[in-house]
Amino acid sequence: MSELLIKNAVVYDPINKVNGEKMDIAVKDGKIVDSIGNGADVIDAAGRLVYPGGVDAHTHIAGSKVNIGRIMRPDDSRLNNKPRTKITRPYTGYTVPNVYAMGYGYAEMGYTTAFEAAIPILKARHTHEEFEEIPIIDKGGLTLFSSNWMVMDAIREDDLDRVAAYVAWGLEASRGWGVKIVNPGGGEAWGFGKNVAGLDDPVPNFEVTPRQIIRYLAEANEKLNLPHSIHLHCNNLGKPGNYTTTLETFDICKDIKPKRDRQAVHLTHIQFNSWGGNHWGDMESKGDEIAKYMNKNDHLTIDMGQLVFGSATTMTADGPVQYANAKLLKARWANGDVELEDASGVTPLSYHPESYIHGIMWAIGLELALLTEDPWKVLMTTDHPNGGPYVNYPDVVTLLMSKKKREEAMAKIADLTFERTSIATIDRELDWYDIAIKTRSAHSKILGMVEYGKGHLGVGADADIAIYDLKPDETDSTIEYEKVKAALRRAAYTIKDGAIVVKDGEITATPMGRTYWVKSTAPSDAHDRMMADLKMKFKNYYSVNFANYMVQDEYVHNPVIEECGYA
Amino acid sequence: MQKITLVPKEQFKISIEAETITPDNFAGKSAQDIGAMIAYEGNTPRPLSELFDITVDGSADAADVKIEINGNVARVKRIGEGMSAGEIVVNGDVDMRCGALMRGGSITVTGYADSWVGREMRGGEITVKGNAGFYVGAGYRGEPCGMTGGKITVFGNARDYVGEHLCGGEIIIKGNAGILPGVSNKGGKIIIEGDTDMPGSEMTKGTIIVKGTVTEMMPVYQNEGIETVDGVEYTKYVGDVTVDGVGELFVK
Ligand SMILES: [Zn+2]
Repeated sequence: MSELLIKNAVVYDPINKVNGEKMDIAVKDGKIVDSIGNGADVIDAAGRLVYPGGVDAHTHIAGSKVNIGRIMRPDDSRLNNKPRTKITRPYTGYTVPNVYAMGYGYAEMGYTTAFEAAIPILKARHTHEEFEEIPIIDKGGLTLFSSNWMVMDAIREDDLDRVAAYVAWGLEASRGWGVKIVNPGGGEAWGFGKNVAGLDDPVPNFEVTPRQIIRYLAEANEKLNLPHSIHLHCNNLGKPGNYTTTLETFDICKDIKPKRDRQAVHLTHIQFNSWGGNHWGDMESKGDEIAKYMNKNDHLTIDMGQLVFGSATTMTADGPVQYANAKLLKARWANGDVELEDASGVTPLSYHPESYIHGIMWAIGLELALLTEDPWKVLMTTDHPNGGPYVNYPDVVTLLMSKKKREEAMAKIADLTFERTSIATIDRELDWYDIAIKTRSAHSKILGMVEYGKGHLGVGADADIAIYDLKPDETDSTIEYEKVKAALRRAAYTIKDGAIVVKDGEITATPMGRTYWVKSTAPSDAHDRMMADLKMKFKNYYSVNFANYMVQDEYVHNPVIEECGYA
Repeated sequence: MQKITLVPKEQFKISIEAETITPDNFAGKSAQDIGAMIAYEGNTPRPLSELFDITVDGSADAADVKIEINGNVARVKRIGEGMSAGEIVVNGDVDMRCGALMRGGSITVTGYADSWVGREMRGGEITVKGNAGFYVGAGYRGEPCGMTGGKITVFGNARDYVGEHLCGGEIIIKGNAGILPGVSNKGGKIIIEGDTDMPGSEMTKGTIIVKGTVTEMMPVYQNEGIETVDGVEYTKYVGDVTVDGVGELFVK
């Protein structure tokens, strides 16, 4: 493979503590190297901003939920259309783009890795079938264990090793990277038209509580020595007053000892779980309370789940919350039952600045990021496409970097928002180093992808590099936010594994990326107990045969497999 | 005043996506500029000069632009899409979605307008002198609102689902309308001078007036007795009660 030299780059690489240094980056055979020979291709960055390729640790880019979104939103498929070119296939869709646009859109913004945040094991084959068609970016996915009969039965029998054995098996069956928990227990309760009310509300017929599900899965996660921590969507999402449940949930994992250098738990799209008040009428932000907790504790990380005004398509394994949304908004609604594993729902909606509820949600995401001191603890996400489509990340970045930009946005938002939130009083403006952390480096660290060469530009890292048409030395990001947004929206260059895939914001090549998954092992006696139970459940309850269930290797292109297990 | 005349060079067999044909796009442009604009024939981009003979007389802002299309454009879709001002006259039939998303100005079609004429129209006026296809002024697949403003008049008959998901504006059908006119009406006005069938199902707001015969009523209305509108007596119905609707349906 060829060699590449990027000269005069202004580099922000927080994992290697490089903060705006003017330097050259050498690339050989798709990796960052110390130096290369004279024959290399040269890109003169000419003092422009250079980041490691973007990493998105929480997004919904593939699988049956995304596809249901596409089916129920022909209106969305008419947005953002772009005819095919010699290199690219057609683009369609804004909140639920077609598979090709999903990859192109990320690459155009300088992103090179994205993790699908919810794979139901039963439907994992679908996720991988879409992964196979999403070009350019590297992918991975988080597997759902939140309302799973195998998990809950093992917990009831206090058999932690069996929980771990099932997690190991489920990750392999779904070719997943980590443990996702959505509204623990709620998916099962939804099968009976109910929900769980809080952490100690037992799941019907299983008599285990959400608290136990979280606790056991967190311990199993560490027993298996998984690269990522548990990844948790809290109970009571989308309900005024839910912040108390959220703070209680934070505490559950306080004494979990992570086996690796990372958090014990990642709590996702916390904006939707930081609400005070008792009902819609007196709803207020508790983003400040959540941030206060974040500033005092080091065992957890969160992501924003920032709201973006305009169209969104909400999709989640949290079945009951979607029913509530659809009823409230008289919106379209799709409901899914994932047999022994979970529920799901899809509802399109639109966020309006004239609504103080949406205004408060908008403000909370920003409060979480700006009031939490340590930038490594809060990832920038929109929970694409729940809070809004990922193509709006550059806009969210400018809100974090510029108070002036926030004031401009606030002028259009319902006044009541500012009585119920503290956003108007926040002066903090993030810099290029903070943004590098929040859009790539911390994502990689939290996922456990640093050793796979993601989110940094140290020697040996994957040569996934973004060059933006913006000179940090000559740009005042607190004022020139339009310029910043335009530059981040269309990278001057996106380099994937050492090859140029985007130039001047246009796709120039469409290689296929990798899929990362984890093969872990539990003690054989626990594995045997688990398999006996699993075979019984397939025989008695599943609609598919055991032999047809697991995702086959043929579905996983360019796999990279992390092997781990009990120490 | 600027007058642009388009005459198709051939009988199109594959439909042409001609959303570029608007007064806004043509205003102040020469025949050469206009000829260089692109319309898709199926999946092939083609310059308008290959598809039409183009003559331009004068130069003006969109409001003073008149586009006249003579010849067979029955396979040309999306004429006047999104236009904000000016005038288009089509002497003949048009394919689907003529005047889609229109915001102002006027379109006259002397022949037949295929389905979705004036879909999600915001303002302006469309006159169809012949018949119209399905979904006059409706919302396209998945849209919460069809027309929100403006006026569509069809002198002939219209097929099914006139004004589906209407959120505003006015539709007048001088002839008959097919089944379910005003289905899911959320605030627009529909006047049908001829006959129709099952008007106003799932209507939550807005008005439907039927001057001819209603073959079958949906059983979802409250009869509110006789009321006079513009000097004519109608039976007034309110509904659709199954969706807590307060739409008004007047039937002679
Ligand atoms: Zn999510």
